[in-house]
Amino acid sequence: MKGNWFQYARGFVTVKLVSGDADAFLAEAVSKLELWDISYARDGKLVFRVSLADFFRMRPILRRARARTRIMERSGLPFQMARLSRRKTFAAGMLGFVFMLFLLSTLVWDVQVEGTERIPAEQIRQAARAEGIYPFQWSFRLQDPSQLAEKLALRLPGASWVGVVKTGTRITITVVESTKPEEKPLESPRDLIAKTDAVVTRIVAENGRPKVQRNDRVRKGDVLISGIVGEGDRTKMVVSKGEVRGLVWHEYRIVSPLTTKTKGFTGEAHNRSYLLIGNRALQISGYGHEPFAQSEVLSDLKRFRIGNWTLPLGKYIEEEKEVVFEERKLTEAEAKAAGLAQARKELLAASGKGAVIKAEKLLHEHTENGKVILNVLFEVEQSIAVERPIVQSVP
Amino acid sequence: MPRVVRKLRNWTARILDLPQDVVLDLPRVTMIGGIQLTVENHRGVLHFSPESLRLAMEKGELEVTGQDLTIRNIGAEEVLVEGTITGVLLKR
Repeated sequence: MKGNWFQYARGFVTVKLVSGDADAFLAEAVSKLELWDISYARDGKLVFRVSLADFFRMRPILRRARARTRIMERSGLPFQMARLSRRKTFAAGMLGFVFMLFLLSTLVWDVQVEGTERIPAEQIRQAARAEGIYPFQWSFRLQDPSQLAEKLALRLPGASWVGVVKTGTRITITVVESTKPEEKPLESPRDLIAKTDAVVTRIVAENGRPKVQRNDRVRKGDVLISGIVGEGDRTKMVVSKGEVRGLVWHEYRIVSPLTTKTKGFTGEAHNRSYLLIGNRALQISGYGHEPFAQSEVLSDLKRFRIGNWTLPLGKYIEEEKEVVFEERKLTEAEAKAAGLAQARKELLAASGKGAVIKAEKLLHEHTENGKVILNVLFEVEQSIAVERPIVQSVP
Repeated sequence: MPRVVRKLRNWTARILDLPQDVVLDLPRVTMIGGIQLTVENHRGVLHFSPESLRLAMEKGELEVTGQDLTIRNIGAEEVLVEGTITGVLLKR
């Protein structure tokens, strides 16, 4: 049996035998033509279907049977095409739709940039635009992706590799950025000079010429490592670098009180909570407490939020803690030790990194008005070099 | 068909154990319930009406009776009839 679609493609008609000898017609037609769905209609007339080609070959048979036909229905592709050719606008619309679909699918709709951290995506997009990769560009106007990638890589100096992949209407540009060494600030020629009067304990010159030696006494402003190297006419200015450490003396006057005041919490506390509406607070709980004589208040504010959106509502909790101050009497020795410890800390902080206290000497000590007053000399080993730029003399 | 040929065919069918319809061009009627009937090896339509269909055979004829008969498909060898089939009659 032939498929229905085959008959549909060829086209067929439903025919009614209006008059004539049906049996005679059938006997001949069945052997010569291809008929199907042969039956009788309600009015007793023969109805059958025949393919379009056979319909025209049926005529001599009809004449011999003295039969007349009436076409009931035309079906199939040839008739549909004829109908379509009459509806020109519809046909044009159908064609137009297919054409538009094709046209739109040849456009580049989306350009995506991947793998960039330092190079801004906009810069890559601009470079791509210069090579013809931009949204609403025709696909057929683009070059081969590997060629495009090569040209893009030339346009992007910060990229070590560029890949261009086209999938349908989307172009993905993958960029691998080249790693760059850290940039150092520019330095001008300089000397290293002494920050204070000191005795040099260690000098290491990485660059430049050392002017002093270990155990030399230096005054403030003396050149330690010179940035001018060479002799006579053959001199050159360099950026001197190095480490110079020396013993430096600091005299400290320390005033240490004999009584100290310390703060402590008693553990008693009151909580008050508020409801925040806009910028107003409504106290909800924590009424009716006796206020403390001395207290400290800690507060905690919480705003309600939904996702990223902060609501104009919130909760505000105040914790009032009772505080007592305690006074403690110190002996002179304790006050002295506390004062010295404090002085050492301050000194080390002021002397810079790597400073070490080598010796300390108590010069003078006396007590007056409830305070211990000390004069102490500290001997500190610390870095004594500071930079001084070399200013070129104008001849 | 000449007598000799028919005898030879009969003999072949017996020896090789073949179905008779294949060898002797006999009609083969397949009926599905009372709604569909296939006749193979017919020799043309003699008469067709909603109540009966008479088909020519190699020998004699075959009549299908029923109501609202429709020839769904007809070829040189095969007929497919649909409708309410009430009887199949073979005439020699």
